[in-house]
Amino acid sequence: MSDSDTVDVIDALNGSLGEVSMHATADEIVAAGRTRRRRRRLASLATGVAGVSALALAITYGHPSAAPDTSAGGGAVAGVHIHEAAYSVDSQSDGTVLVRWDKSQYVTNRAGLEAALHQAGFRVTTRIGEFCTGPGDDPSLNAAGIGPGVDKVMKGEPAGDGNQVTFVFTPSAMPAGKQLFIGYLSADQLAVTHGRPGSVERLVSATGPLTCTTTAPPAAGPADGSGTTDEGAPAKGARK
Amino acid sequence: MEQLEFEEFYRSGQAVCLRAVLASVGDRETAEDLVAEAFTRAWMSWSTVSRHPAPYGWIVRTALNVRTSWWRRRRREVVTDGAYEVVDSASGDDVLDPVLLTALRRLPRRQQEVIVFRVFLDLDTRATAKVLGIAEGTVAVHLARALAALRQHLLTQRVLEVES
Repeated sequence: MSDSDTVDVIDALNGSLGEVSMHATADEIVAAGRTRRRRRRLASLATGVAGVSALALAITYGHPSAAPDTSAGGGAVAGVHIHEAAYSVDSQSDGTVLVRWDKSQYVTNRAGLEAALHQAGFRVTTRIGEFCTGPGDDPSLNAAGIGPGVDKVMKGEPAGDGNQVTFVFTPSAMPAGKQLFIGYLSADQLAVTHGRPGSVERLVSATGPLTCTTTAPPAAGPADGSGTTDEGAPAKGARK
Repeated sequence: MEQLEFEEFYRSGQAVCLRAVLASVGDRETAEDLVAEAFTRAWMSWSTVSRHPAPYGWIVRTALNVRTSWWRRRRREVVTDGAYEVVDSASGDDVLDPVLLTALRRLPRRQQEVIVFRVFLDLDTRATAKVLGIAEGTVAVHLARALAALRQHLLTQRVLEVES
């Protein structure tokens, strides 16, 4: 193709398009860009806030094993005062932790209660439908589903209308290398408690692997109503 | 100051960018949307675009890239809807010569792009190569092939017109 042919084709191409012009003005383009920039900044800000919030939640409700060990002589614990519908956790001036929970709701936010207790400096692991022991732990339970030594770290009493229970946890009384294990009965297991929440508490290893079973401890229940068939009866006869 | 600079950039180049994009997409409304989107993005990244060796090339490249994204999105939506895809057709807009533009749009994509940047946007070979991310020699080859194909198409049309 000769140069003149090329020029002809290019002229034809250029001539194939009439004069055109954008309807949008420069102001409109600039305004659109500004709006989009603003949205981006807001989105970035929202993302940043979400990130910070997630970080804060991770600090507040982190996995117990990842949380700082401040219990049992591990150091001073800042005052914790968490009040939820299902439970409340309050650090007290004598180093103990006052905990109140609603027996009909506490299982619904088990993780939150666990995290709150840990934040208050009390080592605890909770499970639903599983009952665990660590290596070398004493697996025995009394008729109320309470293991040896639990009464030193956890004392309870009924409160309110009877559907609530108040506990005092004593972090400083926790034996070194131990934690409190609370195993709540699952819905199926609750059948043996006639639908009432029940649980097992024992001290277990805080570091070793836990061996768990889904077989609920046998329903022991003397005529006085204590034992796992009730809401439980922590030390000193308080029902859990 | 920055805004004044951009506004001048827009006023000076919007028509030529629109022509280049229009030649490629064939539909005036779509072309305007694409060019407006590209200029908006340019304003948002003005510190970068203002230093680009071929800023209007950046605009047209962006507009065509946006079109590809829109087309892909539309294709997914169409597939989701279970309907047939509607293929763009010459718009019948009186600013377009439908014969030549149809021929242009039948060219392979790369040849079409080279025509858009070299002819409609009047970029030189080096700038076209940079904007398209290909070698200068490749630009020259694509341009020669595209022009030859278009010339052949024009000749065929003239013959048909004489015969009729």
